[in-house]
Amino acid sequence: MRGLLPFLASRLFRAAVALWLVSTVVFIVMRLSGDPVPLLLPPDAPRSEIFRVRAELGLDRPLPVQYVVFLGHVLRGDFGHSIHFRQPAFRVVLGYLPATFELGLTAFALALLVAVPIGVVSAVRRNTPIDHAAMGLALVGQSAPTFFIGILLILIVSLNLGLLPTSGRESWRHLVLPALTLGAFAMASIARLTRSAVLEVLRADYIRTARAKGVSEALVVTKHTLKNAAVPIVTITGLQFGTLLGGAVVTETVFAWPGIGRLAIQSIYNRDYPIVQCTVFLSAVLFIVINFCVDLVYGLLDPRVRAS
Amino acid sequence: MAEMTRRDVLKVAAAGAVAALPGLPHKAQAQTTQKRELVVAQGGDIAFFDPHMSTSSNDIRISFNLYDNLTSRRPDGKLAPGLATEWKLQGQTTWAFKLRSGVKWHNGDTFSSADVKFSIDRSLDTGLKGNRVNTVLTTVDRVETPDPGTVLVHTKKPDPLLPARLGFYGGQVIPRKYVEAVGPDTFNQKPIGTGPVRFVSWTKDDKIVLEANPDYWGGRVDFDRLVVRALPEMAPRVAALLKGEVDLITQVPPDQGERIKANASTAVSGALYGGLYVLAVNSKRPPLDNPLVKQALSLAVDRGAIVKELWRGRGIVPNSMIAKGDNHFDASLPPLAFNPGEAKDRLKKAGYKGEEIILETTAGYLAGDKPMAEAVQAMWRDIGVNAKVEVFEYSVRAQRIRDKSFKGLWWSDPTSTLRDPDGMMWRLLGPGGSQDYWRHPEFDELGNAARFSVDEKFRADAYQKMTRIFLEHFPWIPVIQPYEDYGLQKYVEWTPDPLQQLEIRRFNFKFRRA
Repeated sequence: MRGLLPFLASRLFRAAVALWLVSTVVFIVMRLSGDPVPLLLPPDAPRSEIFRVRAELGLDRPLPVQYVVFLGHVLRGDFGHSIHFRQPAFRVVLGYLPATFELGLTAFALALLVAVPIGVVSAVRRNTPIDHAAMGLALVGQSAPTFFIGILLILIVSLNLGLLPTSGRESWRHLVLPALTLGAFAMASIARLTRSAVLEVLRADYIRTARAKGVSEALVVTKHTLKNAAVPIVTITGLQFGTLLGGAVVTETVFAWPGIGRLAIQSIYNRDYPIVQCTVFLSAVLFIVINFCVDLVYGLLDPRVRAS
Repeated sequence: MAEMTRRDVLKVAAAGAVAALPGLPHKAQAQTTQKRELVVAQGGDIAFFDPHMSTSSNDIRISFNLYDNLTSRRPDGKLAPGLATEWKLQGQTTWAFKLRSGVKWHNGDTFSSADVKFSIDRSLDTGLKGNRVNTVLTTVDRVETPDPGTVLVHTKKPDPLLPARLGFYGGQVIPRKYVEAVGPDTFNQKPIGTGPVRFVSWTKDDKIVLEANPDYWGGRVDFDRLVVRALPEMAPRVAALLKGEVDLITQVPPDQGERIKANASTAVSGALYGGLYVLAVNSKRPPLDNPLVKQALSLAVDRGAIVKELWRGRGIVPNSMIAKGDNHFDASLPPLAFNPGEAKDRLKKAGYKGEEIILETTAGYLAGDKPMAEAVQAMWRDIGVNAKVEVFEYSVRAQRIRDKSFKGLWWSDPTSTLRDPDGMMWRLLGPGGSQDYWRHPEFDELGNAARFSVDEKFRADAYQKMTRIFLEHFPWIPVIQPYEDYGLQKYVEWTPDPLQQLEIRRFNFKFRRA
């Protein structure tokens, strides 16, 4: 346990640096992309009006001043006032988080529940029709873009079969298609990785030993193989989890799901700096926290990681 | 930027898959309904209920139904009584409005002239944080309220269009007592008006719920609840209509319209846009400073083909800078001509030597802008013009508008907010307007005189003369006046509005019932 405190401290320091870099990049990129004021006003607004609104939003100050003000506020959890909603940006983004969590967690659960068993079965039944079908599907899930899968699901499942609603956020039935769409990529990646990790372990000496001892095949797979194959699976699962929570932009747009991905995309169109900064910052925090947790889970799974 | 990305290709593929799928549900073929709830889907959520904070079409579809104006612009383009029952000009600069009696706000307070004065003053208040309409009523000098039922609006100069101005954005009437009591933020969260529907709830980026105002002075609307959903992508918006989840959708592009029409239970209804799609011209840049070159460019555009091929017939060819349906539109003028031979002659006469002419376009800010730009480029090349299309970002376009720095031509969709040339052509092309790149002494004199004249005969004559000058100099090259299409269930009886309002009052909306 002696190594734990320095380990935590260095991880936290790196996380802080990453967050500072992320917020700086966002600040610069948003300002490079153009002035939000002409987009807020009617096209024939007089120049005096443009100057008035610029001053109202604090955009008339020099960039370095805007940057220092911005960093100071971020430290206090204050991302400024949304240009578009004219409310504190943090409060606006928080309002969109529950929808994103609901969708992200469901997609994640779905991905895990489907992908891990499929991966294991494919590995155990390697080169059988089951394996080929599962890996073929995984290839499609990994290569087809999200909006394509989303629109196709709407057409087939909602419109032609009439099974589920097309879009919106009301009951659990509204959640199924967006969660499937969002989870498709993660599901495919996890399934493929699970398969290869399990295959690797199945070739190991201790598995041969277990079999030679007469341990039943079911026990070999569940007890001896899965635990040893878990490290790479946890890694990719952790990464996918971050993506699912932070990257649902397309899915949320296609299914009119009121989450932060859609908020972010609209705020980029509106040049709503404070909202974009806040969503990217929060996504980065999520990602960093999840990676941190994944590191800790390694320790639990693999004694060698703990020892080093 | 100009190439098709992988994403574009796939989008086209997805659209193709959409079109190819057979067998839409047959159950939803009802041409009548028992529904008490109207569900509308538009392309984005609203940003504000406070009508002074926004002019966006998503917002005004709601705010024109929560609130009333003194005058009301009907879908047929005519001005009808709203909160004012009658109005007349006293002298040259005073408009007197007689207010409707017995009107109540949604919270039960009584509506009076004090609310009207408060609303006009607030719309003009540059100190109001977030005010986006303070340029609409700038001809107003001051407002007087001699009694609760009368409003006198004094204008700085004669203003023939004041009643029209009060009928559009900036003119919605809001409750003085309530707004002063709760402040602008609460007013925007929990709005109160006199309109046919009242506020129930707003879930951001999801839906707005409104309910019928049972005591509405114009008659109770034909439903109990109005739900407005935000469905940003076109394909899911159409799918929601075809499946019967929504009753009415906005912004239907021509290719999707055919799909909606092919379905047994849905239909397309369009209004001729109250405005034009034009190629605005930076007439200061050679060779575009030469009227002969601009005449040649106009003559080379085969507008009929653009309407037919790119818009599938959903538009008409303009005949001048005045939109069909506006005051002083001259129906006797022929549509703008297509004559490539004559165009070549004029280029020769102009001494054109192959100078590059740049057409700047976004991909999607205006419906069909990029494909139209590419078609126009090909037509211009056919007569020997060295035309080039440059694609730019929305924000760059906004910047160019502000700096007046367009390189040549660009797409603009001037809206005729007052259904009169003054509110469209003169607002933008006049001196100091946002598209002021060309000046002509006689044109300017006529435009100014027409703006401040209350004599409609004089104005008609002025706009006729201005049209002649316009058709020689082409500060805009008008291309198409498109239809704005909506998709609806066949049990919906409703007429769309040329200015993108969603008019659901009793006179314009009805469910067809068994």
